[in-house]
Amino acid sequence: MKHLGKSGLAAVAAAALLLSGCSGQSLEGNNDKAGEGAVTLKIAFWGDMGLDKLKTQYEAAHPNVKIVLNSGEYNAQHEDLQKKLVAGSGAPDISAIDEGFIVQFRSQADKFVNFMDKGGADYESKYLPWKWKQSLSADGKQIGLGTDVGGLAMCYRSDLFAKAGLPTDREAVSKLWTDWDSFINVGKQYTAKTGKKFIDSGTNMFNPVLSQQAVGFYDESEKLQMDGGPKVAFDVSMKAIDAGISANLASFQPNWDQGFKKDQFAVLACPAWMLGHIQDTAPEQKGKWDIAAIPGGGGNWGGSWWTIPSQGKNVDAAADFVKWLVAPEQQIEVFKTVGNLPSQPALYKDPAVLDYKKEFMSNAPTGQIFAATAEQLKPQYLGKKNGPTRVAVENVITQVQQGKLKSAAAWAEAVKQAEKASTS
Amino acid sequence: MSLTQLRPTPQHAAPPPKPSRAKLWLYRFDTKATPYVFIAPFFVIFAIFGLFPIVYNGVVSLRNWRLTEPEKDGWAGFDNFSRLLSDSDFWNALYNTLGIFILSTVPQLLAALIIANLLNRKLRGQTFWRIGILLPYLTPVVASTLVFAVFFARDNGMANWLLSLVGYGQEQPLDWRASKWSSWIAIATMVNWKWIGYNALLYLSAMQAIPKDIYEAAAVDGAGPWRQLWRITVPMIQPVVVFTVILSTIGGLQLFNEPMMFDENPQSAGGGSAHQFQTIAQLIYKVGWKDLNLGYAAAISWALFLIILIVAGINATLTKRIGGDR
Repeated sequence: MKHLGKSGLAAVAAAALLLSGCSGQSLEGNNDKAGEGAVTLKIAFWGDMGLDKLKTQYEAAHPNVKIVLNSGEYNAQHEDLQKKLVAGSGAPDISAIDEGFIVQFRSQADKFVNFMDKGGADYESKYLPWKWKQSLSADGKQIGLGTDVGGLAMCYRSDLFAKAGLPTDREAVSKLWTDWDSFINVGKQYTAKTGKKFIDSGTNMFNPVLSQQAVGFYDESEKLQMDGGPKVAFDVSMKAIDAGISANLASFQPNWDQGFKKDQFAVLACPAWMLGHIQDTAPEQKGKWDIAAIPGGGGNWGGSWWTIPSQGKNVDAAADFVKWLVAPEQQIEVFKTVGNLPSQPALYKDPAVLDYKKEFMSNAPTGQIFAATAEQLKPQYLGKKNGPTRVAVENVITQVQQGKLKSAAAWAEAVKQAEKASTS
Repeated sequence: MSLTQLRPTPQHAAPPPKPSRAKLWLYRFDTKATPYVFIAPFFVIFAIFGLFPIVYNGVVSLRNWRLTEPEKDGWAGFDNFSRLLSDSDFWNALYNTLGIFILSTVPQLLAALIIANLLNRKLRGQTFWRIGILLPYLTPVVASTLVFAVFFARDNGMANWLLSLVGYGQEQPLDWRASKWSSWIAIATMVNWKWIGYNALLYLSAMQAIPKDIYEAAAVDGAGPWRQLWRITVPMIQPVVVFTVILSTIGGLQLFNEPMMFDENPQSAGGGSAHQFQTIAQLIYKVGWKDLNLGYAAAISWALFLIILIVAGINATLTKRIGGDR
């Protein structure tokens, strides 16, 4: 009985899907006929990438192009794109892909339009070299044009710093922590004074430190290199946990968001796009946050590309739109609306970026700060299994935070789990 | 059948115009094939959405299909399955799944039986109680799981507040997600909360079909309520009990939503920092869409299918024994 019921439901659902699919198609068809040679471009991305105004602008200049924006959840959008690529149809005309997923899609380059065929070679010199390389497949296909990079700085709560008797001026705070050891020492002082935790999580020490290393989890021959960069980053995170300065919260989860409001941590490693998240999560903390330099110099976390799945029908129109989107005027517009830092270094000299001050972050000059960290970054090769490996090592750090594992024994476990993930 | 055959007979008595071949064929088609045509939609749809995926999944499980390595496409034989046997993640997930399954199914069905028995008496506001116990079932699983995830939070969680009332966890609040036992209990609680009412209602409807005089006779013979429940009620609703046991076996072994959303970091699909509560369904999702190894994920899916068949079979036999074949 149950079985029958289930299949029946499936049938109804399938019928509904078919119907809605059909109606969607026919509507578009009508539109196509209405405007001579009109095309509709569907664009998938997550959060707010500052496209609303640009869409109207582009549609006004190109009456035959209609743009449909589809903003979804970060992971869901990437997963959906992957499924549509496997299915061979249904993918959006243009899809944003984040750094965390670019390796996965780069190795399926034949499923994307190669920008090298669309005059993309002219763009290479405009981009940060490492940004250009990250979306380049092994056989030299360019699957996307970069839009933003994260950069990396250290956000801190100036009001909590004042209460703990620490300096609050961003220059002075930057001088407090020139390296990670001094950063942990500041954390110890803060915790001793206030009884509160300093950082949100050990994993948010591991990731920034790892991004500052010359070699990450994998070298360019795809060999796991745990004894290099990962060991350095892991040791820093263990030191921080042993010092008792971590609130042990998992990033981007409800507990973490609560942690903002309850002042459970006073600093946060933040790339440019994180500012929007802080602003959304704790709007009442306006003016209480400020931005200092990250210990150890530059770094990057996140940043995205615009890609065009080759299964689309309007790849040429899509390519034109993407090229327009990454042009300097539009990149600056996006930076001003949502704060995403452009990935073309020429723009870092642009007064619009240089002079910009973020009101929410105590008027910090975010353009200058993040641009400097993005330019200082040592490019790092991300292997095919980078994602799963990072999750495996983060899990070991979490185990230490949960008290399931002693920090002395953790490194051996991390190596074991990373090796497992590398062969998964 | 007899009706349809009755009609033509008088025509045969007066033979005049011979029915044309086409008509005859149509007539035969009508009587022989029409029933099948009528039930065909179900089978066609089942073949497309049920049978085809199962078979296709079987084919995929015999292939190398890694999304990150398109060039290594090809037949793998039984490599995926032999890898399964030595994969500690799989055995860990199987252990978790069975553990949570027992923690959720046994109390769930027992509680449902007792609640149904209580509701089967004359009560004030009968409809209110009966609808009340069904409410958890009507709540979308995502919504209720999110609430439970907050309920079982380490800091500021309600479960820990309750524990603190009896003096537990003053120094170090219990981190529900950190160890196997606590995470299993939390997840089993979510499952139990959702399904007890549903099963109780099924039992209740079966109980109402039991004639009252049997209970009266038993009462006269001196059987108390407890004895009546186990000696009369349970044996007489046995088919429904078997049905619920099989259903909760299938549901319990496919457990996905609850552990997924209970996780601190749902996107890793890891089921805890050391896979404390990663179920098989979660492992399939992780291998397929996080590790991007579709061939291996298909092999685990098939293994899960076989495990469900076996466990459901064992449970059904056991329940029939308990039910009163003695």
